[in-house]
Amino acid sequence: MTSLVSARNVSKSFGSVRAVDDVSFDIEKGKIMGLIGPNGAGKTTLLKAVLGLTDCEGTLSVLGLDPFRQRKELMQNICFIADVAVLPRWMRVNQLLDFVESVHPRFSRPRAEELLARTKIQSKSKIRELSKGMVTQLHLSIITAVDAKLLVLDEPTIGLDIIFRKEFYGNLLNDYFDKDRTILITTHQVEEIENLLTDVMFINDGRIVLHASMDALPERYVELMTSGENAERARRLNPIFERDVFGKKVLTFEGIAREQLRGLGELRTPGIADLFVAKVKGATA
Amino acid sequence: MIGNQVALIRRELWEHRAIYVTPLVIALIVSIMAITGQAVVSAFDQAVDLAILGASNLGPAERAAAITVLMTGVSSLLIMAMWVLTIFYALDALYAERKDRSILFWRSLPCTDAETVISKLITAAVVIPLVTFAVIVITHLVVLALASVWLGFQGANAWHLVWRPAPLANNWTATLIMLLALPLWLSPFIGWFLFVSAFTRRSPLLVAFLPIVILPMLEKSLIGTSLFVDAFFIRTASLPLFRGMSTGDIFSYKGDEWSLNGEVPSGLLSLMDLSRFFGSPSLWLGLVVCALFVTAAIYVRRYRDDS
Repeated sequence: MTSLVSARNVSKSFGSVRAVDDVSFDIEKGKIMGLIGPNGAGKTTLLKAVLGLTDCEGTLSVLGLDPFRQRKELMQNICFIADVAVLPRWMRVNQLLDFVESVHPRFSRPRAEELLARTKIQSKSKIRELSKGMVTQLHLSIITAVDAKLLVLDEPTIGLDIIFRKEFYGNLLNDYFDKDRTILITTHQVEEIENLLTDVMFINDGRIVLHASMDALPERYVELMTSGENAERARRLNPIFERDVFGKKVLTFEGIAREQLRGLGELRTPGIADLFVAKVKGATA
Repeated sequence: MIGNQVALIRRELWEHRAIYVTPLVIALIVSIMAITGQAVVSAFDQAVDLAILGASNLGPAERAAAITVLMTGVSSLLIMAMWVLTIFYALDALYAERKDRSILFWRSLPCTDAETVISKLITAAVVIPLVTFAVIVITHLVVLALASVWLGFQGANAWHLVWRPAPLANNWTATLIMLLALPLWLSPFIGWFLFVSAFTRRSPLLVAFLPIVILPMLEKSLIGTSLFVDAFFIRTASLPLFRGMSTGDIFSYKGDEWSLNGEVPSGLLSLMDLSRFFGSPSLWLGLVVCALFVTAAIYVRRYRDDS
């Protein structure tokens, strides 16, 4: 079985609001999947369902387990950072390591200590004495020291400065990630993770609007920067979205071969952020 | 399961240091009171009848009873402090982790919600009483040692007057039984506090105590009965752990002075009646109520999603 997470017709409602609406997808082993969506799109609800923190309709299987009903077994093989700075503030660093060591069969204390030795975090420090960036470093060190199959990160770097953010993703790739591990990540700072993703999934109004591997994006999507008459001609090819940049028109196309657009202007592969805006705004326009 | 419980309970002791700091502070105050008390008694040496420890006209049984009274006084203070502590602990146990959002971290570890809530129940009903017991034993020893020192200064033999007659093992066993029985008897309250701690969004203290004030008033005005108040007072005022006993059994009033009865039981243990305690249907009913509240607390922690 290569599919680590498998969702079939998963829905979750809060009252009359469908936060996640009939979603189906698979995440395969060894991938780094970015889940991108605006606030209130259902990202966090979907992640919570994957983590067994909330019940849902439909069929959801994570590592072959039902996440809500087999949460304890699941948590032996999954790690997550739900938000920055949720480590208990009253705890000391060494108490935290003691605790995780005693409840987590896959936690390697020497590995965690090795990772922490590279930071300025002292084992006697209380978590409330650490800066927000250091708390995230600590959390990532603990998680990296757990031999988990799936890591789920929900806005792991929100509120951190640029140095910590860069370092976080650097450490994530260098220390944590290998071909046996899988990462599912959401963030608003899309540009920062764009280069590390292998797959991307857009979610809007509880529905998945795009699910593709990063390698497939250049084939499927192209952006044309043009103006005047050429723009008119390009519009006939049904771009999914159009925006203005410095007085020029940027048109995003889906499923149009680059040859058809050649000669009409500058061609490039859209960035994730632009593509996201194109898919979401284009759909509502 | 057991390994997780040990880790989870150790975590509670790390987080709630008041569990051992509070009784230690009370113990310190009691010890200081014992010193100052002895200083005051010494100052009025001639006028005060040293009826408790210094008097040499008591037999071993009366002396044992007198020391038991002293030990019980110390224990009572610490047991009262324990209840205040337990209430605050239980109300905080499932509330603080939601307030600081660390619940998201706790739930990312392989511990079930049931294991976590049960670790907090065990802390409230067993760990806090055991810690209190240890501190009570230490305080007894300190207070009796201070009394011995004082007696030494008075030229009396402390071994003969205090240590040999003191029914230490008997009183400590009784105190331990009392400390473990009390949370069982009051378990509906512990369950209620844990449940409030799990569901309330703000001020657990207020939410826990408001119904205790309002429900009886509603009952009285709507139905005209006072079943709730009666149940509440029976629960808090009468622990069915002791045999019937009156002060007349211990003291007798002859002429114009009180004296201790020679035949009084010398230790607390003989006053206890465990078959009466475990035979009381109220005890078991209370435990069922506690179990319902704790189950509800587990469900709230598991199903509620308010982060």
